[in-house]
Amino acid sequence: MRGTAAMKVETLTVRYGKKVALDRVGLEVPLGSVYALLGRNGSGKSSLVRVLLGQQAPCEGHAELLGEPSWGARTRLMARVGVVPEDPDAPPAMTVRALEAFCRPLYPSWDGTSLAARLDRFGIPADAPFGGLSKGQKGLSLLALALAPSPELLVLDDPTLGLDPVARKAFYEEVIGELADRRTTVFLTTHDLAGIEPIADRVGILKEGRLLVDEPLESLKARFRRIRYANEITEERTEFGNELDAFDAVQVKVRGWGSEAVVSNYDDARFETFRTTDGVVDAEASPLSLEDLFLAVAGEGARTKGGSR
Amino acid sequence: MTRGLAIDPSDAAPIWRQIEEGLRRLVASGALAPGAPVPSVRDMSADLRVNPATVAKAYQRLAESGVLAVRRGEGTFVAASPPPVARGERLKSLKDGAIRYGSLAVTLGTGCEEAVETLKQVWPRGAGR
Repeated sequence: MRGTAAMKVETLTVRYGKKVALDRVGLEVPLGSVYALLGRNGSGKSSLVRVLLGQQAPCEGHAELLGEPSWGARTRLMARVGVVPEDPDAPPAMTVRALEAFCRPLYPSWDGTSLAARLDRFGIPADAPFGGLSKGQKGLSLLALALAPSPELLVLDDPTLGLDPVARKAFYEEVIGELADRRTTVFLTTHDLAGIEPIADRVGILKEGRLLVDEPLESLKARFRRIRYANEITEERTEFGNELDAFDAVQVKVRGWGSEAVVSNYDDARFETFRTTDGVVDAEASPLSLEDLFLAVAGEGARTKGGSR
Repeated sequence: MTRGLAIDPSDAAPIWRQIEEGLRRLVASGALAPGAPVPSVRDMSADLRVNPATVAKAYQRLAESGVLAVRRGEGTFVAASPPPVARGERLKSLKDGAIRYGSLAVTLGTGCEEAVETLKQVWPRGAGR
């Protein structure tokens, strides 16, 4: 049984005691896509990853991986999924070669040649104990091991955390190469928004257990803008403060020179109407980087919604 | 080969469109000659550090509009006779660039004449008058 989604969760709820970690979350990761799940620490990202990988059963709702239930079929599914966990760890005395010998029998499609080539590219000696590797080398070794079984799906939990810029570049290049060669589906959580922005094609934003955003990055960036303008008091003008209503502002700041807002429902025609509104002066709209967009949606002082679609 | 192709991921224009327009410009300016090979999707995406699907989309659109030609098993090339850039589009690109240069000159307190003179000085040799 296979659908077109590599991953799928519906009305997923996870509680730890009274604390709600995930609140009726629903999302789909299309096959062949690169899905970036964003959220502050404690927003529920890791719980969602664990449920998707069948490491934890959901309290309510359900999770599917490659068309099968994550929890029920977890043993079978893990042979088709490559995972780089949040904290790259392995027994410190084991060499990368020993790790390979340990993992290899678990996967039917192990590609030792590509693993050796990757370790070579990363400059990681296969006979060095894992404990003696740098943080960057540990992350890259685990990526190489995760890619060795030629997985259909690659799950990366904050993979570039703590990596220096060189290791991070190598990490992304390897993932891009894998996408080009095999069109592997990638699901990742990250705080490196600038690094993932040119690679992700779909983005989810979690805040306090709720999924505020779940859509293609392209449409997300098309509908968000930062708008700056000054207000002019004229006699004809009777109302203030409602001029941004049509845009679904997620953040409004009043500054000395005027106002600055992040809006979630931008389009050119709407902006033209706004720009020529009586009393609105010097209005300009600028695009947001993924990082700015994240801050506006999930940061302090954001209105608690991802805006309308 | 991808020099002159600058991508700004935080720009409002999607990356595939930036690549498409960038290549179109390089072909129109002659920087990429008819028949010249263009990098594979894999190399281009690694080079720009973007999703290969994004590069593939730009290439596909360029192939559909006759700017690029895909030869099976050989790779992707600039078409033998790529369609010329539409006059309106060419004028618009030129004007956009001129506005950017003009604003810079104004910011630096440069007069119009000096700006034009500087432009003439840096004009590439052999690129036409």
